[in-house]
Amino acid sequence: MLSDAPTLHVHDLTVPLGGRSVVRHVALDVRPGEFVTVLGGNGSGKSTLVRAATGLLPHTSGEVRLFGTPVADFRDWHRIGYVPQRPSAASGVPATVREIVTAGRLSRRRLLRPLRHADKAAVQAALTSVDLADRAGESVAELSGGQQQRVLIARALATEPDLLVLDEPTAGVDLEHQQLLARVLAAHAARGVAIVLVAHELGPLARLIDRVVVLRDGRVTFDGTPDAEAAAFAHSHDQHHPLDPNSGGARAVVLGPGWQAGERR
Amino acid sequence: MSLLAYDFMQRALMAALLTGLTAPAIGTYLVQKRLALLGDGIGHIALTGVALGLLTGQAPLLTAVIVAVAGATVIEVLRLRGRASGDVALALFFYGGIAAGVLLTGLAGGSAATLTSYLFGALTTVSDADLLLVVVLAALVLTVSLGLAPQLFAVCQDEEHARVSGMPVAAYSVLISVLAAVTVTLAMRTVGLLLVSALMVVPVAAAQQLTRAFRATLALAMALGVLAAVSGVWVSFSVNAAPGPTIVLLALAGFVVASPLGGWLRSRRGVTMPTDDLHDLHDLHDGKD
Ligand SMILES: Nc1ncnc2c1ncn2[C@@H]1O[C@H](COP(=O)(O)OP(=O)(O)OP(=O)(O)O)[C@@H](O)[C@H]1O
Ligand SMILES: [Mg+2]
Repeated sequence: MLSDAPTLHVHDLTVPLGGRSVVRHVALDVRPGEFVTVLGGNGSGKSTLVRAATGLLPHTSGEVRLFGTPVADFRDWHRIGYVPQRPSAASGVPATVREIVTAGRLSRRRLLRPLRHADKAAVQAALTSVDLADRAGESVAELSGGQQQRVLIARALATEPDLLVLDEPTAGVDLEHQQLLARVLAAHAARGVAIVLVAHELGPLARLIDRVVVLRDGRVTFDGTPDAEAAAFAHSHDQHHPLDPNSGGARAVVLGPGWQAGERR
Repeated sequence: MSLLAYDFMQRALMAALLTGLTAPAIGTYLVQKRLALLGDGIGHIALTGVALGLLTGQAPLLTAVIVAVAGATVIEVLRLRGRASGDVALALFFYGGIAAGVLLTGLAGGSAATLTSYLFGALTTVSDADLLLVVVLAALVLTVSLGLAPQLFAVCQDEEHARVSGMPVAAYSVLISVLAAVTVTLAMRTVGLLLVSALMVVPVAAAQQLTRAFRATLALAMALGVLAAVSGVWVSFSVNAAPGPTIVLLALAGFVVASPLGGWLRSRRGVTMPTDDLHDLHDLHDGKD
């Protein structure tokens, strides 16, 4: 019966931050193999939503279930791969690309045990899928911003998760590597991995999207297929559109001014 | 060689060696978390512990460990709860610790001079009992900081990702602070409370001039720490100087040497670094077909 449960189930979720509700009465179900994107202007609550969905933030009302289990009781963290929204992968001490990606295996490792063959293989595969295998021994602090972003993606992929939560993973990533990421994510989705992507610019990822959720001021203002969303958008705006099929894959799509209207002031 | 004939000298070298090994080990995690001055703050809290020992007639080392561990835990909890940023929480304890330390020592009938041996170390007065406690605490710190290295690395690198990996982040963060407190009090008799923070940070700063990996930084920092501590004891006894400052100045000398050396190493690596990381992507066609 648990196998029927959605990978991620969010119901009537309200999340407070700094004394006010930043996410309000949001519902979201993601099923195995489904690719959902969360759109919205700066401050619309996208990161807050995915952070509450991964148990990083407490919620005041509503419910979050991961693989059928309430998030407070959830223990199978190796089933979740998370890319936080972050400008840099570096910290106060040097660390190599491989060391950081290897941290993605922690949820699968037991205490005081060395890395197993499967761990090393998963790390290598993740490095290859973001095209950083030849930089594995370098210090992340000496990589460019986009390259560091790819390190964070590789860390999430190395977990070999059933649910991938990516918070603006392509910020600063060049088009060529976005196309590579699109192929990698498509392969994961085909294998039944559920994907939640927060983004402003969908670029080559646009053609993979099954469902679009648009947030504005912490509320869902749209939830449906990309086609329906494009129609709704065309109805109210003449702007260039993030899901524009004519530009998908060919060049990065930039959010039009219509989207910035969702920004908090 | 002749120096080793003295019992007090053997104990001094042993205590210095263990401090040189443990302080950079835990210091690496503090620097990674950008809490390099935590050791300093804990040192000041430990002063209150020393004074409490003097006041109650207990062993100052023991009361210092207890008070420092309690203080370190509170600092970390304040930080985790978001009640105060790391540096503000530190500052509160920094001043509170030194004020209470001096006040309590006065009440115990001692003077600031009584505290000096704890502030700057008193290697020659290390007793067998002191040394035993130092050995036990050092073994504890090393076991945890090396045995749990993958977990502590992940928690200090990226707290949010560590939590989504199922790590008990709060427990590990408090553990790191507690280990730092233990290390600081451990160093009370060698480099002293005022300078121990230097031995937690300076070898790490020197090591990272030369390294690209976390593990290598940790190992090199520990090696540099031992080198500075042991040679510092040796030099200080040979020229009749205070051991604590000698150890710290030698560690700083290590940084001064490592810094240009690291720059030179990096420029050499730069020559051999691949310039185009897209080279094997060119044969991948666009996935739209
Ligand atoms: N730590 C915090 N304390 C109080 N308010 C916060 C905090 N973090 C975020 N907020 C507020 O919550 C709202 C939503 O923030 P969130 O980070 O979820 O936005 P977002 O949609 O991810 O934006 P972006 O596109 O810039 O990443 C914003 O209005 C922000 O001001
Ligand atoms: Mg965000």
